[in-house]
Amino acid sequence: MAEKLLEIKNLKQHFNVGKSNEVKAVDDISFDIYKGETLGLVGESGCGKSTTGRSIIRLYDATSGDVFYEGENVHGKKSKKDLKKFNRKMQMIFQDPYASLNPRMKVMDIIAEGIDIHGLAKNGAERKQMVFELLETVGLNKEHANRYPHEFSGGQRQRLGIARALAVDPDFIIADEPISALDVSIQAQVVNLLKELQEKKGLTYLFIAHDLSMVKYISDRIGVMYFGKLVELAPAEDLYKNPMHPYTQSLLSAIPLPDPNYERNRVRKSYDPASHNYTEKDDVQMREITPGHFVQCSTSEFEALKASVAVR
Amino acid sequence: MKKILQVKDLELSFNTFNGEVKAIRGVNFDLYKGETLAIVGESGSGKSVTTKSIMRLLPEQSAVFKNGEILFDGRDLTKLSDKEMQKIRGKDISMIFQDPMTSLNPTMPIGRQITEPILKHQKISKSEAKKVAIDLLRLVGMPKPELRMKQYPHQFSGGQRQRIVIAISLACNPQILIADEPTTALDVTIQAQILELMKDLQKKIDTSIIFITHDLGVVANVADRVAVMYGGKIVEIGTVDEIFYNPQHPYTWGLLSSMPSLDTAESKLYAIPGTPPDLLAPPKGDAFALRSEYALQIDMEQNPPFFKVSDTHQAATWLLHPDAPRVEPPLSVIERMKKFPGSRYYEGGAV
Repeated sequence: MAEKLLEIKNLKQHFNVGKSNEVKAVDDISFDIYKGETLGLVGESGCGKSTTGRSIIRLYDATSGDVFYEGENVHGKKSKKDLKKFNRKMQMIFQDPYASLNPRMKVMDIIAEGIDIHGLAKNGAERKQMVFELLETVGLNKEHANRYPHEFSGGQRQRLGIARALAVDPDFIIADEPISALDVSIQAQVVNLLKELQEKKGLTYLFIAHDLSMVKYISDRIGVMYFGKLVELAPAEDLYKNPMHPYTQSLLSAIPLPDPNYERNRVRKSYDPASHNYTEKDDVQMREITPGHFVQCSTSEFEALKASVAVR
Repeated sequence: MKKILQVKDLELSFNTFNGEVKAIRGVNFDLYKGETLAIVGESGSGKSVTTKSIMRLLPEQSAVFKNGEILFDGRDLTKLSDKEMQKIRGKDISMIFQDPMTSLNPTMPIGRQITEPILKHQKISKSEAKKVAIDLLRLVGMPKPELRMKQYPHQFSGGQRQRIVIAISLACNPQILIADEPTTALDVTIQAQILELMKDLQKKIDTSIIFITHDLGVVANVADRVAVMYGGKIVEIGTVDEIFYNPQHPYTWGLLSSMPSLDTAESKLYAIPGTPPDLLAPPKGDAFALRSEYALQIDMEQNPPFFKVSDTHQAATWLLHPDAPRVEPPLSVIERMKKFPGSRYYEGGAV
């Protein structure tokens, strides 16, 4: 695969550190994101997938761990200038298109905010032109620039969120459940738009979602999270065909598909984290079973998985 | 099979400052004993309003019944007084709401919330009602029900709360259970548990369920029959196999092909273009015509009647008229039709 764009190393995000209610939302996860790919991140609510995204883009200060962007460490103390440079390369699309747009700002100003901060437009006319172009890129038109967010439907608002993220010409976009709040028919519109933009601009996505069928459709590789840990990371096809971690298996067996015959025969597996019987001595970590397919396992489980793959 | 509820020519409007919103524009369906009828459609299609009008939960100042009747037990629910309706609501017909986080009272222990409908509708003592409530909690799979009775909603997880809401709705052994997106706010693993629970309970107490959702995967899992709503009308209704393997209405085609499937790798998802119609001024002909590539001239002018596909399957589209041109449905829909005996693309093999 292509070169690494982002390297996340031993990222930890703990809340209420030192108190009795300490939460290890993200607990020591490492993965790479390659240039031009879409990495999907799935898991149930509260597993830390959104926190991971937010920590990477520095909406939270990570407890420990590093994030390298094109080889450069972007966490830790930074000057304002360095931060600005980094912020331009990385943008975020949020889940709720109703809450993520300022209701008192016009669309023109919402989208141009990034342009203004980074001084990308020389004058007012150029700024206007840039906003018009962005609106057209996401399938809206320039008449929309003078309206307020409440005049738009959910799908249109999510398009505005995308236009805002694109305004500073980023390389990498974190999309945090961008379609969960939308209707089925509108979801397909937004997903198609994201794919189209990726082809045109060579964008890299971290796509966070809990809708597994949509994630498989848009992602090249998928990471599965469970209680703050990454338990499996594999190419999308591979993950769905040969899920290896028992949690991934249970997650996949729980998705209902729009096919009554399949539904009548679907058997759901349940996952019990105690079934691993890990002891202090077990060295539990991500290990590569087949090329590109990582599973969190102990040494003995690693041997067993290797053996089962060899049989197949 | 016995018809337990009949909705006939139901029309309902909301009076707003902007004018009259025609939310339901002539809905007809029957509900049979012991079956699960799923109603699907996007937001604003009128699926929730239909069921809320059955429960008479809409504000009477603004929501007006224009026409039609809802027959339950030989009585027209649209004409009952509030008092009479109170005797039915929660007893014969009960409802499970979408958001388990907000449909429970946060200041009341859950035990009292479960006994409330029992004490209201049945002549039994408080201690007996408590016993019934504990049994109900056990029925919905809550561990240590005696202890849990005294706890408040915030002490439960989302899935557990939805179990409690289900326990409340089952408290008086309702004949009809209306579930309005009961699993939309839940994770897939919890969703699977709740769906299994509902199917299990349905077998045990033989109730009829109206299940509202926009998730077609869930529909395929729970439904016996499916009604597809669009723009305040039912556009297609049939058994679950008929809707998934032999759909006839272009809107159903659009819905089915806009969901990615897990085994095929399409390059582009089919997206229904445009947005749902404005029901302040509903379109004259077929409400879906403006978004449909299959629209005929007549779709713009006249509302299509229901055409019969089989005894259990009807669809409101002019494409089924004998004089209509033959059109090819989207590829993914043809793939589905290949599995259905009786469709014109059938390729053999059992369903």
